[in-house]
Amino acid sequence: MTNTISRRDFLKLGGVAFGALAIEQFIPPLVAQAAREAGYLDASDSGYIPSMCEMCVWRCGLLAKVQNGRVVKLEGNPDHPHSKGKLCPRGQAGLMNTYDPDRVLSPLIRVGNRGEGQFRKASWDEALDMVAQNMLNIKTKYGPEAMVFSSTHNLSQPLFENLLQAFGSPNYGTQRSLCFNAMTVANLMTFGMEEPERDYSQLKYLILTGRNLAEAISNSETGDLVHAVDRGVKLIYLDPRFTKTAAKATEWLPIRPGTDLAFHLAMLNVIIGENLYNQSFVAQYTVGFDEVSSAVQQYTPEWAAGITEIPADTIRRIAREFAAAAPYALAHNNWRTSNFVNSFQTERAITILNAIVGNWGTTMFPAGSGTGLGAPKQPAFPRVSALRLDGVPWKYPFVPLQYGVIQELRDAIVAENPYAAHGWFITRQNPVMSIPDRKKTLTAFAKMDFIVTIDILLNDTTWFSDVVLPEASYLERYDPLSLVGDPLSAVGSRAFVRQPVIEPQGEGKSSMWIYKQLGDRLGLSDFFQYKDEEDYINQQLAPLGVSLDAVRKQGYVDLPVSNTDIHKWTTSSGKIELKSDSLDKAGFDGVPKWEEPPAPKSGQFYLLTGKGARQTQFGTQNNQLLHKYDDEPGLWMNTKVAATQGLNNGDMVQVASAVGQIYVKLIVTQAIRPDCVYMQPGFGHLSMGLTTAYGLGSSDSDVRVTYTDPISGGQALSQTFVTVQKA
Amino acid sequence: MTDIQNIKHKAFLFDATRCIDCRACMIACSVENNIPVDKTRIWVAGVGLMGEYPNLGRVSMVYHCMHCNEPDCLSACPVGAYSQRPDGPVLYDHNKCIGCRYCMNACPFGVPHFDFNKGLLQGAFIDKCTMCPQRIDIGLEPACVATCPTDALMFGERTDLLTEAHSRITAYPTRYINHVYGETENGGTSYLILSHVPFAELGLPNLGSTPVRDISEAAMALTIPFALAWGAVLTGVTVGVHQFNKRKEQLAEAEAKAKPEETK
Amino acid sequence: MKMQIAINPRLRFHLSPFVAILLILMGIAFIVAMIRYIYGIGAISNLSNAYPWGFWVSFDLFTGIAISSGAFVLTSIVYILKLEEFRPLVRPTLLTGLLGYVMEVIALLVDLGHPERIWHYFIYQNFTSFLLAIGLYVMIYATIMMVELAPALLERLKLQKFADLIKRYMKPLVIIGATISVLHQGSLGALLLIQPAKLFPLWWTPLLPILFFISAVAIALAMTIFESSLSSRYFHRGLETHLLEKLAAAIPYVLGLYLIVRFVQLALADDLQYLFNSGTMSILFWTEVIIGSIIPLILFSFKRIRQSPSGLLTGAIILLLGMILDRFDVSWLAVKHPDPITYIPTFMANNVHYFPSLPEVSISIGIFSAGILAFGLAIKYLPIFEDEDGHHPAASH
Repeated sequence: MTNTISRRDFLKLGGVAFGALAIEQFIPPLVAQAAREAGYLDASDSGYIPSMCEMCVWRCGLLAKVQNGRVVKLEGNPDHPHSKGKLCPRGQAGLMNTYDPDRVLSPLIRVGNRGEGQFRKASWDEALDMVAQNMLNIKTKYGPEAMVFSSTHNLSQPLFENLLQAFGSPNYGTQRSLCFNAMTVANLMTFGMEEPERDYSQLKYLILTGRNLAEAISNSETGDLVHAVDRGVKLIYLDPRFTKTAAKATEWLPIRPGTDLAFHLAMLNVIIGENLYNQSFVAQYTVGFDEVSSAVQQYTPEWAAGITEIPADTIRRIAREFAAAAPYALAHNNWRTSNFVNSFQTERAITILNAIVGNWGTTMFPAGSGTGLGAPKQPAFPRVSALRLDGVPWKYPFVPLQYGVIQELRDAIVAENPYAAHGWFITRQNPVMSIPDRKKTLTAFAKMDFIVTIDILLNDTTWFSDVVLPEASYLERYDPLSLVGDPLSAVGSRAFVRQPVIEPQGEGKSSMWIYKQLGDRLGLSDFFQYKDEEDYINQQLAPLGVSLDAVRKQGYVDLPVSNTDIHKWTTSSGKIELKSDSLDKAGFDGVPKWEEPPAPKSGQFYLLTGKGARQTQFGTQNNQLLHKYDDEPGLWMNTKVAATQGLNNGDMVQVASAVGQIYVKLIVTQAIRPDCVYMQPGFGHLSMGLTTAYGLGSSDSDVRVTYTDPISGGQALSQTFVTVQKA
Repeated sequence: MTDIQNIKHKAFLFDATRCIDCRACMIACSVENNIPVDKTRIWVAGVGLMGEYPNLGRVSMVYHCMHCNEPDCLSACPVGAYSQRPDGPVLYDHNKCIGCRYCMNACPFGVPHFDFNKGLLQGAFIDKCTMCPQRIDIGLEPACVATCPTDALMFGERTDLLTEAHSRITAYPTRYINHVYGETENGGTSYLILSHVPFAELGLPNLGSTPVRDISEAAMALTIPFALAWGAVLTGVTVGVHQFNKRKEQLAEAEAKAKPEETK
Repeated sequence: MKMQIAINPRLRFHLSPFVAILLILMGIAFIVAMIRYIYGIGAISNLSNAYPWGFWVSFDLFTGIAISSGAFVLTSIVYILKLEEFRPLVRPTLLTGLLGYVMEVIALLVDLGHPERIWHYFIYQNFTSFLLAIGLYVMIYATIMMVELAPALLERLKLQKFADLIKRYMKPLVIIGATISVLHQGSLGALLLIQPAKLFPLWWTPLLPILFFISAVAIALAMTIFESSLSSRYFHRGLETHLLEKLAAAIPYVLGLYLIVRFVQLALADDLQYLFNSGTMSILFWTEVIIGSIIPLILFSFKRIRQSPSGLLTGAIILLLGMILDRFDVSWLAVKHPDPITYIPTFMANNVHYFPSLPEVSISIGIFSAGILAFGLAIKYLPIFEDEDGHHPAASH
């Protein structure tokens, strides 16, 4: 086997491999100069610089191979636990994200009507002044709450939150309610933390409920899964589709959509009823077991079989196998299981399942606990009296403020209830595509007096905005050091740095710079007390006594780890709460009870959602490298069903729901339940500024109906039912 | 004949049970080797989804170049555009290529591919996987191997990989087809494959251990001897016929001379 | 009916409709070729990664060279076996042969990815490659044929001394030419030796070069009959039936040998099992064997047929059609196409099924038209049908 090269060797080899390049050098750019001083680049400006990927939330560490001021190859950083030296297809294609010919490289100001894509280039000063002016106008006329801020969580989120909170608006939208609110809220209630860490090293038995790790790739975890299966770990996989993960599973259970809850309740029924749970663990570390026990008595496998369409014997056997394998078993908490309103209780059932067989400490651990990063000084935020438009917490008492319920936010804007919003500030987010019912989102947009976006491409949201502020791509900028303990950047006890590996092209700037510029213009300088990006990061590092230069060389800094007892949970009882008193008090089920999901009428199908390995949500469809190797998008339909409907592979079909209709190409396949159809989201872009993605496929956002779980605020994406006919 | 088991080449091991068809390898290869957007050096083939709902299976096969121990492309190319390094990689020099595409016929695996959509000025050549010599020469793995998130692709000494492959089969006899494809096929290849489905479903041909090129090369080697022999035969016949005719003429002349005396 | 085209009052060209059509076909081929050079082979053909060789190779290379085999057979008969009576057939077959080779070279200029690099055959040489051998053979033997045919031109130009010089060295030229031809005809079959898994067992055998050579002799004889018959019809010359009869008499022996070698080989290789239950392959096999070998063998066994001009021509055409089918089978129709399994990216295999496109075929048609035109011009302006004494042998009948 070839020796794996350490990162240090990379640097040495980088210098040797590239040798003498062009004699004429550009005037050494600032980045190259710094990198040369740090020892990365050799005299010919070639070498490897460590940074972080941003093609998905896994944020792997990478090594960027740079030659003559250009990124020529990306490799995984062996030191980063999420990459271990590898990059997934999107990570490898990240170059084309930076070098996408459709990049927005200067500030743009709209000149035509919204949606026409007519913009003029402007200077940063003009654009920033305009944004600040508009925001202040809205603040003065309608109050700061009339300005809505939303961003998909990223490393600059703390500064984004600074901006909106200092501005005085309560209206904060993230992507989380479209993603994993069900899971994180359930974990918070049960374990007091958003997402415990999973450890595959001792795993013997794994249940995945819809977590399609082979296609919704999380680099290292996908690798861990395949290695686990490789060494004989039993994988039970619940999904109405035969995905690439199903192909690796020991057993694929084509469960009826929306019924994962029944499956897991029956699991609990068997494990508790047959005394297969870990009695000492339950006695020592949990509260509420008796309530769970009596609640699940009625949920027999026979009962579940009728609902889930999985044989009772199978459910019973899996429950016994799972308990027997414990504590080396794991029911994966997934993102949101089946995407139905009852997914929250399903997640609760999963947490209980793991807890009662005592997986804690073998396959589940507390989330990373490194601390110690500093931050610039800032005063307290102004008091906010206005209600949040998204109903948190007055309609959704259990949704953390930092998550929000973005689809509710959108609906409130349309309804102008409890009040009208007038401005929307969007960073690194594509709500026009991501929120269900695209028409309604565009209606919300139409209500805005002013929309400003920060992005690298003219994606759909940017296309409909008034001012576009170009961000430098992730290979061209700094971001704050990642916060450990944050489920989206936790990597044990190391904080990795994102640093520019090339000069930003055009006039792209980091969002750290943009927020400070805006902050200064809005009179909020106190909340942005840093000179520039490097100054900010140095302030983060100050408590650790480490300089940015030292971190740059290594790519990361180790944080002091507090040795906590893993058997302590930050719940109100200090133990694992199998029963949630707070849910109980609020009138919801404190222990999971069966909630019958809605089902399609005759002639309708469940419209499932999911992921593909070569795309990340709604932002990557324009990447030419990913497009080259991707499958053509379309609507999956079961072969037999298509035959009975007289539909053939490749036919254009009309898909209609309660909120809209689309035309999409049909993909006839055996790999899906007869009562389901499936579209991979992310296609059907409206922006003509995406020359590769425009015209490619159709968008399921146009037909998805908005259903929100009242407890976690999670959007039930698969609760949409559609008819399918030949176009 | 080389000892197939002990060929000292660098090689790949592809384990189809680990491949999730994510195609990171292809993207990494495209970037590493500056491949234009309308070409690729590695690709997916294979039946993909198998069976009928709900009894389904899946396989994906990543095609590279087999880097045969006895490459047919190298044997077939009239202008010698292919070469093989002592450590195994089969390389190709597009400066020599005339675009005859014989190598495409010769390769039993359908590896070399051609620019059918390029004219003379743009350059229409063969292209194929080179085992990333620019990486392996500095101790890195080929781009595809380095990035594979599930270690479906491994790289190293062929003998080591054969040992690894066989130990996997032994450890999980019900999982794998009991054969390492490429161990002996075509005289041994340096792209070794483990699979859970018959290799034919991956689009791999059924080949024996005799290198495919042997017969062709043996026939070519007969060219000169045959030419000399045949030329000698023809010369002999020519001379013989000439002599025969001359003799006939002489006899006829002698007869003619004799005849007039009789009629006197 | 002849059209009079007045380009210049002093020059008038008589253009028959037939020649006009030929010129148009040549023009079309030229335009298509230009498009090919600008936009690539895929722009004007259905060739692809799944089918890198197709109609051009089957028609222009395999068939074209096969039907040029008359040259070496007739020169061998006349100059090696000294069967003088066949001399009148030498020049016509040399002309056909030479034109066949020239047409193949022109086709190569379109089929090769980089025809401007054809000189690589001389400086980058890989001697395990049959395609190298074929390339060199084409160039060398075409040269030899040109030299062997040169006296016709030289006589026309009244350069008798040079014509005589060449004629003095005809024997060594013929011996070398015949040797190279044997190798060449066999090499075409040998091209397939490196594709045992891809060519159906009813065709692939290590003896392919030998089978190709034997059938090339049969094709040569039939081609001589064919070309003589047509020339006599269209250029109003007498037919040397008595010569052609003798050539036809040899055909059954050649075909008999061919069939024996073919079927014995199939038996020894245990491939007889494929004869009848291989679907399309069986149909192709039996079609080519019956039409190309069995029927001509039977026909030419009858003196009556051999002595009748129409019988000769019919028999020759049947043989040629069957043998051309054999060449098409070996180079295309019996070559295994890739299984229709998934390819991603989809451009990898392009067209998994292949059938030549119209522009693709038009190239071959245009080249063939040029060959016919050149043949006609040569007949008209060169002493092809006259022997060196200026006699028209056919005129004496």
